[in-house]
Amino acid sequence: MIAFLARRALGILPVLVCVSLFSFGFVRMLPGDPARLLAGPDATLQEVRAVRISLGLNKPLWQQYLTYIRQTLVGKLGTSARTGQPVAKVIGERFMPTFWLTVAAMAWSTVIGVALGVLAGVRRGQWQDQTSMVLAVSGISFPAFWLGLLLIDLFSVRLHWLPTGGEEGWRSFILPSFTLGVAVAAVMARFTRSAFVEVAGEDYVRTARMKGVLERRVIWKHTFRNALIPVITMAGLQFGFLLGGSIVIETVFAWPGLGRLLVDSVNYRDYPVIQAEILLFSLEFVLINLLVDVLYAVVNPEIRLQ
Amino acid sequence: MSRKLDLSRRAMLGGTAAVAGGLAFGDLAHAQTKSGQLTVGVAAALMTLDPADANDTLSQSAARLMLEGLLTFDKNMQVVPLLAETYEANAQATEFTFHLRQGIKFQDGTPFDAEAVKINFERIANPANHLKRLSLLAMLDHVDVVDQYTARCVLKFPFGAFIPTVAHPSLQLLSPAALKKWGKQIGRHPVGTGPFVFDSWQPDTLKVKKNPDYWQKGMPHLETVTLRSDPEDGARIALLRSGEAQMITPIPPQQAVVIEHDPKLALINDPSIVVRYIAMDVMKKPFNDPRVRQALNHAVNKQLFAKVVYNGFADPLLSAEPPHITFYEQQQAYDYNPDKAKQLLAAAGYAKGFDSVMWGFNNTVAITAMQFLQQQFAMVGVKLKVEPLEGGVMASRIWNVKKPDESHLEMYYGGWSSSTGDADWALRPLFATASFPPSLYNVGYYSSKAVDAALKSGLETADPAKRGAAYATAQKQIWDDAAWVFLGVERILDARDKNLEDAYRLPDGGLMIDAAKYA
Repeated sequence: MIAFLARRALGILPVLVCVSLFSFGFVRMLPGDPARLLAGPDATLQEVRAVRISLGLNKPLWQQYLTYIRQTLVGKLGTSARTGQPVAKVIGERFMPTFWLTVAAMAWSTVIGVALGVLAGVRRGQWQDQTSMVLAVSGISFPAFWLGLLLIDLFSVRLHWLPTGGEEGWRSFILPSFTLGVAVAAVMARFTRSAFVEVAGEDYVRTARMKGVLERRVIWKHTFRNALIPVITMAGLQFGFLLGGSIVIETVFAWPGLGRLLVDSVNYRDYPVIQAEILLFSLEFVLINLLVDVLYAVVNPEIRLQ
Repeated sequence: MSRKLDLSRRAMLGGTAAVAGGLAFGDLAHAQTKSGQLTVGVAAALMTLDPADANDTLSQSAARLMLEGLLTFDKNMQVVPLLAETYEANAQATEFTFHLRQGIKFQDGTPFDAEAVKINFERIANPANHLKRLSLLAMLDHVDVVDQYTARCVLKFPFGAFIPTVAHPSLQLLSPAALKKWGKQIGRHPVGTGPFVFDSWQPDTLKVKKNPDYWQKGMPHLETVTLRSDPEDGARIALLRSGEAQMITPIPPQQAVVIEHDPKLALINDPSIVVRYIAMDVMKKPFNDPRVRQALNHAVNKQLFAKVVYNGFADPLLSAEPPHITFYEQQQAYDYNPDKAKQLLAAAGYAKGFDSVMWGFNNTVAITAMQFLQQQFAMVGVKLKVEPLEGGVMASRIWNVKKPDESHLEMYYGGWSSSTGDADWALRPLFATASFPPSLYNVGYYSSKAVDAALKSGLETADPAKRGAAYATAQKQIWDDAAWVFLGVERILDARDKNLEDAYRLPDGGLMIDAAKYA
């Protein structure tokens, strides 16, 4: 297990080097001159040049890349072109709000989603199944933008119970985490149901039932446990996506997270911040995949970590 | 979107009220609307609190809470003294002397004096500092400290628009001690002479609190001010309606009715200096013929433009600059007359019209405007293809173009706001021959000897009468040449709590809340 983790951890390094190269090249392929955009809508050529020099964009590309790598290695990640702050600080400030919002959304949506999925799987074809799946389809199809505004209108404007947005205290988490989790819960429910139905048709489940194993035991031990593998994969993927910050949710709820930072940074071609965000998202995905692999082994001891 | 909200309200209220009734959280709005506290919801994100390095209106407005300049603008964009009591210029407009108010201290205790003016102005003018507002003081040679409370700005060349430039929010003064202490990080640690002191700046939220030692006795009225970024229009209106904010800025013209119908809220509807126009590449066919450009001016119903695009919240544009810019001269309107437009087109050899492409920004209002223009031009046979562009693409396709013959622009739906409030910056960057991209923003490559000469003479004196005559000539010539299709002037649209007073935006969009109070 420890050897496995060590090997995988080492494997992360080349991935990050590749990502750093790609993101560096990719942001520079975007049309638009960062110096012009940052200098503002009525800047003179002299001002545009001043900005270009202060951003180091007048230097050859290889020099810019080396500066970027050097600053990344010392953990500074460069300086935000837009605000002049160290990128590590800019991202640090925004990471925690996104992280906690993701945790809150994932926590409720996974529990509810899996529960609905199991219920639908067990009572296949019956009203519980149909109700769950109607809820799931609505959850997927509800535009988060619209749902968010609707909840704000009801709970903030009319009832004055919850703040409209911003991150201040636990109350501010309720509406955004609910809105963010709705689609996740729906996906989890659909996924759990189909995995459950598939496993329920396996020979070993029939055998268990024929042996006279209690139905409850058949459901939880034989079916649910085996159906969990694809569900964990999906949960990991969703978690990774949400950690990137939801642009829609963060915009509607004025949430100071990574998604909005990315939009603002792309609008101003803030290269160092865009690069750092891409690097962070890649790192998150690699780590989550690792966690998912470990969880496989926990759920099913037959899967060996190699 | 207001319709969407209304529908959702009807659909939701019946069903969820009972469910929601279980969660009793108390009333947030009442807890937050304490007098003495003001929260303003803004659309943009704050970039810096160093105004000399800020080119966005929000950052400059935020700095205005804590900092002050020698001069400032009153509600009508007229220059009024602030930290300077009086000022005078020499006849050549090369030396400007400011007599400072005495006994004022920066918030860190540093005395405000001529030395502070020298340090601040020369910091901006020094190209080695790479500040974004360098060009505002590019003409400054140095500042002489005549005595402790007299500062003389000596320019490299005549610049008649220096006084409005000094009123620009980017020339607000920072404490010399703080500048020394924080260096490049001053934008996070602003110290000025203003009514409020910096408190905190978390992502998207700026908090300032009352300066107890403020030099204007009895001011400010508020204890704290919070600026909160809320980028989504609907959510920002909810912020105000829920009572979490007492003012929001801006609101989209289509949402004004929501505010007007709420008895607790008031709509702020003031003139702005944001002009809307179409620039055409006048070096290229068919726009090189003035008759074509005049025809296009006659082809657009400007009243309908204001109604369709701005829900009525726009004024006609009757010169190359808007009324709240200095030396404005109203011109004879190009009336809406499609027949006349067709005749002019026929006279220019385009009896069957022509095809063209229009570029503009990719926001909702700009796209609506371009689609409206497409329909208007179609009536006179001009077939328009509308291409909304993202900001970065726009920069590389229009503003960074090196030479006129490398430009692929045909028509451009644009906007301009002269941040100094002066005719020079309203006209020179857009119409002078020296302002072709990439140096400035004359994207239609309009070039007129008469206009160039007038713009030059407007800067060679600080005498208002002489300057006025020069800019009158320039405006008349630009108008008669139909260098643009002149469309309209936007209005400032904000919303506030009915009890909030003296909180408004200037015509240039700058937020003025330092004197705000509750009724």
